[in-house]
Amino acid sequence: MIRPAIEIHDLTVAYREKPVLWDIDAVIPVGSLCAIVGPNGAGKSTLLSAILGTIRPASGWLKIFDKPLDRSEELIGFVPQRESVDWDFPVEVLDVVLMGTYSQLGWFRRPGKAQRDWAMECLEAVGMTDLRHRQVGELSGGQQQRVFIARALAQDTQLILMDEPFAGVDAATEEAIRTVLEDLKKKGRTVVLVHHDLQTIEQFFDHVLLLNLRLVAAGPTSETFTRENLMRTYGGRLTLLDEAAEAVRRIRTGRTRIGRELE
Amino acid sequence: MISPNTLVILLGTTALGTCCGIIGALMLLRRRALLADAIAHSTLPGICIAFLLANSRSVVALGTGALVSALVAAALVAWLPRVSRIRKDAATACVLGVMFGAGIALVGLIQRSGSGGSAAGLDGLLLGRTAGMLRSEALTFGCAAIVMSLIVFSLRKELLVSCFDPRFGTSSRIPTRSIDLLQTSLLAATIVIALPAVGVVLTAALVVIPAASARFWTDRFDSLLRISALLGAGSGILGTLISTSHPNLPAGPVIVLSATGFFVVSLLLAPRRGLLSLHLLARSRSRKRTIRHLLDAILDAQLHGQMQIAIDEIPESAIRTDLRSLKYSVQSGWVRREGDLISLTETGRIRATRARKALEIWREWLTSEASIDRDLIDLDEIEIEKILSPELIDTLQRSIDDREMS
Repeated sequence: MIRPAIEIHDLTVAYREKPVLWDIDAVIPVGSLCAIVGPNGAGKSTLLSAILGTIRPASGWLKIFDKPLDRSEELIGFVPQRESVDWDFPVEVLDVVLMGTYSQLGWFRRPGKAQRDWAMECLEAVGMTDLRHRQVGELSGGQQQRVFIARALAQDTQLILMDEPFAGVDAATEEAIRTVLEDLKKKGRTVVLVHHDLQTIEQFFDHVLLLNLRLVAAGPTSETFTRENLMRTYGGRLTLLDEAAEAVRRIRTGRTRIGRELE
Repeated sequence: MISPNTLVILLGTTALGTCCGIIGALMLLRRRALLADAIAHSTLPGICIAFLLANSRSVVALGTGALVSALVAAALVAWLPRVSRIRKDAATACVLGVMFGAGIALVGLIQRSGSGGSAAGLDGLLLGRTAGMLRSEALTFGCAAIVMSLIVFSLRKELLVSCFDPRFGTSSRIPTRSIDLLQTSLLAATIVIALPAVGVVLTAALVVIPAASARFWTDRFDSLLRISALLGAGSGILGTLISTSHPNLPAGPVIVLSATGFFVVSLLLAPRRGLLSLHLLARSRSRKRTIRHLLDAILDAQLHGQMQIAIDEIPESAIRTDLRSLKYSVQSGWVRREGDLISLTETGRIRATRARKALEIWREWLTSEASIDRDLIDLDEIEIEKILSPELIDTLQRSIDDREMS
């Protein structure tokens, strides 16, 4: 039996009586790289918030490493959507990464040299040490995303959630994130991320969760990421269906990846 | 000569300005500047009700009334958007209007009911009066400023994360809601303390303006708080000095006008963000662009075998009618001019080739990328070479060459 990192049972989340997630049951095993996939408004980010504990479910429960969420001491790493913060904020790169160490510090204590060194290591992992004193607004979108990733690394948690880390980033950032993900997997960490690019799912992720207000399917990519399930997830949206068809075709033919390099 | 009395007032308003500056910076970073306005205006009904109940103008009674109604206003602003479809800005505006309206109505009622002399004191609350400030009041303000600085200093990291990314804060076990509550309470307290000196109508201005001015001078969280506090204190000092030497001027408006003075100076003169330096930057960019076009046009002619080109053959955009860019290029040794004919010098040719190549590589990079930053479009060759790594430049060059071959 594989140990579950996240166990979701009968989860319903509602904003003002209107359910945005309904009847979710899923298990995400320890050490997996799991993609949450679904159309816009499917409740992907909401599911992350529920796992994080920043919104309260209307019903159902969640367990993180075998403990109910509200009694869990486990800290969860988090990479929010890039658009969720004001990048004009007067703060420099290193300061943002240091936020990842705040939870270990406790009240009133400020990050010291140890935290600073650790934060630099995390910046190194995403190739951003040179830019540590930049104001975050002066970074490109991809670099901002990498700062967020470094901050999550600084949290040094067993479980990390990422909300669309690949959305609108440049090739260098995509590469950096991919390396980070591989490293995390090697270390046995569990990473759950919202992903929108169906083309790359079966190449990066060993687990998928197909979501459209309710759970369409969840499980190992090889069994779950099928044409039927994608049809059920995306319904009649044609362009997406084409994409899905393409992705599925590549599974069948065993091709891994369409070269994206500068064509 | 400054009288001891003025000194007391100065101490008081300096402390006030400091408090306003610090809390204002925090509110600005949370994009809640308008909340300060709503809370300040909402103190009026509380003051009036307290006056009616206690039937006195004692600072404690009126202050308590003000604080209670400030907190009620803050709670309403937070609560309305959560239970209804009203958005935060609309909720803030509603609360401001309703509470201030109620306050004005109550002031009218009190004045007509003939409580006479003491009711006149309520008028003072609208625009503020520093003249009668007691030594004990000034000391209270001083203590408040010290306490507020200490709180903000010791909770720096909690405040930073809950201003920048509250959701991340919550997820890493920082009680962002309590911090939020603390911040709103500090705001309410500051406003209540500032009321007698600056007045209901303008207190919010003293909270918001120094912070807005400070943002022009820095990109750092700590220095923003510091500069904002300094500007607040400065406004307090300047306003007090002006209003004590002109007895007819009410203190509140003068202090706010002083703050506005600092704002205007910041808006115009701040390095990098001020209007003047933005204008100069835009001008130098546009000149660089013109020169680039000029050199490129001559290079183009050279590549077509024409070693010299007549000035009127250069496209208008590359030379401008006043020929300034041409003169500058000649001075810099990039262009040789013989009468109406111009040609590139060796350094000019190297410069033009380099610029052209960088631009081509940059275009290639832009087309190969999914997301483009608007800031990254209009760059010159030096910036382009700084941004792209040498390996990436090689890759891009190869892909350009490949395409040209095929």
